[in-house]
Amino acid sequence: MSTPYLRIRNLTKRYGHFTALDDVSIDIVKGELICFLGPSGCGKTTLLRAISGLDIQTHGTVEQDGRDISALPPAKRDFGIVFQSYALFQNLTVARNIAYGLENRKQPRAVIQQRVKELLELIGLPDSGNKYPSQLSGGQQQRVALARALAVSPGLLLLDEPLSALDAKVRIHLRDEIKALQRRLGLTTIMITHDQEEAIGMADRIVVMSNGKIEQVGTPFEIYHQPASLFVAEFIGAMNLLPATLVQQGEIQLGQARLTCPVDGFATGTTVRAAVRPEDVVCTGRTNGHANSFEAEVQELEFMGPYFWLSLGGGALGEHRLRAQLPRQQARELDLRLREFTHLHIPAEHIRLFPDGYRHG
Amino acid sequence: MADTLAIVLPRVRPRLGRDEWLMGGSLLVLALYLTVTLLIPLVVMLSKSLEDRHGVFVGLSNFVRYFGNPSLTAAIGNSLWVSALATLIVVTLAFGYAYALTRSCIPFKGFFRLLAMVPLLAPSLLSAIALIYLFGNQGALKSWLFGASIYGPIGIVMGSVFWTFPHALIILITALSTADARLYEASESLGASAWRTFTTVTLPGARYGLISATFVTFTLVITDFGVPKVVGGQFNMLATDIYKQVVGQQNFQMGAVVSLILLLPALLAFFVERWAQSKQTSALSSRAVPYQPKPHATRDLALLGLVSLVGILILGILGMAAFASLAKLWPYNLTLTLHHYDFSTADGGSWASYFNSIRMAFYTAVFGSVVVFAGAYLVEKSRVAKALRTATHMLALIPMAVPGMVLGLAYIFFFNAPGNPLQFLYGSMAILVLVSIAHFYTVSHLTALTALKQLDPEFESVSASLRTPFYRTLWRVTTPMCLPAILDIAIYFFINAMTTVSAVVFLYSPATTLASVAVLNMDDAGDTAAAAAMAMLIVVTAGGVRLLHAWLSHWLHQRTQAWRQR
Ligand SMILES: Nc1ncnc2c1ncn2[C@@H]1O[C@H](COP(=O)(O)OP(=O)(O)OP(=O)(O)O)[C@@H](O)[C@H]1O
Ligand SMILES: [Mg+2]
Repeated sequence: MSTPYLRIRNLTKRYGHFTALDDVSIDIVKGELICFLGPSGCGKTTLLRAISGLDIQTHGTVEQDGRDISALPPAKRDFGIVFQSYALFQNLTVARNIAYGLENRKQPRAVIQQRVKELLELIGLPDSGNKYPSQLSGGQQQRVALARALAVSPGLLLLDEPLSALDAKVRIHLRDEIKALQRRLGLTTIMITHDQEEAIGMADRIVVMSNGKIEQVGTPFEIYHQPASLFVAEFIGAMNLLPATLVQQGEIQLGQARLTCPVDGFATGTTVRAAVRPEDVVCTGRTNGHANSFEAEVQELEFMGPYFWLSLGGGALGEHRLRAQLPRQQARELDLRLREFTHLHIPAEHIRLFPDGYRHG
Repeated sequence: MADTLAIVLPRVRPRLGRDEWLMGGSLLVLALYLTVTLLIPLVVMLSKSLEDRHGVFVGLSNFVRYFGNPSLTAAIGNSLWVSALATLIVVTLAFGYAYALTRSCIPFKGFFRLLAMVPLLAPSLLSAIALIYLFGNQGALKSWLFGASIYGPIGIVMGSVFWTFPHALIILITALSTADARLYEASESLGASAWRTFTTVTLPGARYGLISATFVTFTLVITDFGVPKVVGGQFNMLATDIYKQVVGQQNFQMGAVVSLILLLPALLAFFVERWAQSKQTSALSSRAVPYQPKPHATRDLALLGLVSLVGILILGILGMAAFASLAKLWPYNLTLTLHHYDFSTADGGSWASYFNSIRMAFYTAVFGSVVVFAGAYLVEKSRVAKALRTATHMLALIPMAVPGMVLGLAYIFFFNAPGNPLQFLYGSMAILVLVSIAHFYTVSHLTALTALKQLDPEFESVSASLRTPFYRTLWRVTTPMCLPAILDIAIYFFINAMTTVSAVVFLYSPATTLASVAVLNMDDAGDTAAAAAMAMLIVVTAGGVRLLHAWLSHWLHQRTQAWRQR
């Protein structure tokens, strides 16, 4: 990896005895869109405010473009920021809002007007310059807030839950727009969200956080398919987490079933948690021609449109419950019914083991 | 892990930019301002109570002497019972009045509401003067008192009721308007009688408002100086005792002792009021449904009777004062004349005092709103010096707990102390403005804070990210958005500065006599008609300024409608 644009090292933020950020280190590359994802109160905003200088960390350093900005006030840093609340200046028109940062830089009026015009076009509101923010919809207001932040051409764009005040449809639309804009400008961007779909859909890389710590940093694909911790496994997407015992290297016992799977770093005989995504569970009905398979009863069957949710138990599973997601087509072919037994197959590469014990929430 | 890190890594010491230095510096200036105009004078006064005439420390001996003198301590009991009685009457009447305005279908609600606010425009002295005309030795209705004298507790209670009524009413209207209609529907659907609903839903719902109104009224009465001074006769009250000790006997130490005693009920009221306020707001759930009263003939008629009676009393007092100021020679020659408004022959007041008052109120309004708004901004929005912000906020709350008399006396002790470099202020217009700003600081500060809290908390963050200095955003965004609140603060300062007597009575000089003090002095000199005339001038001026304010607010609202939230 080339030298990072933003280098965050050992960031810690304390409020009295409470540690809101605990030894956080990340490298962010120029031009990437990175999402901070995590449950409420995990420290996402705290991290963003430390990066911006709005609330400076207790310990640790931040470097931007090779410059140590750790202790600088916000006005001495180089970033644009957009908040969930838009924070538009209500007594100024849209055009004055966008021009706000430029007016302070003593540029000629004509240059400012030209720039405002460009930005209004960029956000798709070319005719709204003379309106007041209260005359725009939420989505439009958030676009104006974005344009205001972009107007001064910052090196870094910070977005704190920019979409969560909007309704679902506007949200998805604006999500794509922000992404396209960010690509086009090649602007290094950090976006906070607690919506994993949003993070997966937009981010080049995701930082998953919990309790002030980083759980995992990776591409959406890595986060989804190779969760680094039980927390990430549980937090991102739907996941079965079943207690199992490692009977020998490369094989676990789950209820009565013995399944092979990749193992690293567990001693034989330890209790582990086996993580399996519902869509990775394969139903084969009455036929059983696979390795890594076992039989269980269909205890619940829920129609969800394109697929069925299955809840499986009994049989080899005994007390344990396994959820599976079955495409509609396949369910029809297998003619699955409630209270009937079916063979199940879990490909070894889709089983991931985590140490038992710690369990979030 | 975190602990080991703390040892390894140095703590980050935020570097300050120009914004931070400016904000921190301004905050420091504000804290110093409040310390000098408020805290130090009070502390000096406290220490004076422990000194003798020559400034030698004598411990508690002043207090021992005070409590050993029954003619002095009698004032404590007097003040307590008179204030309690007046409070009881005011809160009862104001509750009925507020109930009529918020929970009934009486006609002319707007008019009655406005009428009840009229006493706010007058100095407390006005009601006392009117009472003398009504029930005094040559009073029009003297026989109504069955031989009792208006000079004494009766007059003090009646006069106090008049001028404190709107203060209690405002609190109770707020408390009653926050009712949740769902509770009433529930009570009705359970078949509860109107009386039962009143005692189980209405009263408990308004209890914090009642507590708050009670303590506020009690403090206003017990710390008021104007009414007992004019109509108290030989009846001693704490507030008049301070005046007598200081102005009459030049016994400043004893004045300080009485001041401290007067500070106690005010302090108690302050804490109870703050507590009740916090309860009141938390009782308001966001899902509450506003109560819409339904017509109810007997209730509405009874309540209309009540508000009409109170309205007539208010108009009667005001009308009496107006008539007294216009009648040629009460009660012998009642032809109308403007002669009493001439003041050239009056003893203790002149048109100069009136214009001094206008100037003083104007300066107080202008400088007061600037200081208060800037101060509230720094406390609420600046990113620096958290401890200093908290301390400044605490300082800003103190004036609410300090009676005007006490503040005025504290100013004498501090500003008139030999060797004080600020002594040049003593006797100037500036000191009157300073004491008035300090006296009415808290309410203004809280008003400004409320307005600022309604703005998006991230304006300052956005502004910093755009590298725009904070004062630019303060000027272009924050101030315009808070302009209605700033206007409210200015008018509050103006009217209070115009009508107040208590703090300034110790501080005016021959060059800076004031209208409200002139009322007092002319009454003292026996020139009651001229005193009434000056009091009416204050009322008319304050009323005019109020109208101007209403018009300005309306104009502002029209102008800013384009961007105000729909
Ligand atoms: N000024 C403060 N004083 C004390 N604790 C604070 C302060 N600011 C934040 N915290 C605490 O720090 C923790 C992290 O807060 P933060 O705002 O960063 O969470 P978040 O991940 O952004 O959550 P959300 O998704 O709800 O916005 C929370 O537990 C919060 O209560
Ligand atoms: Mg947050």
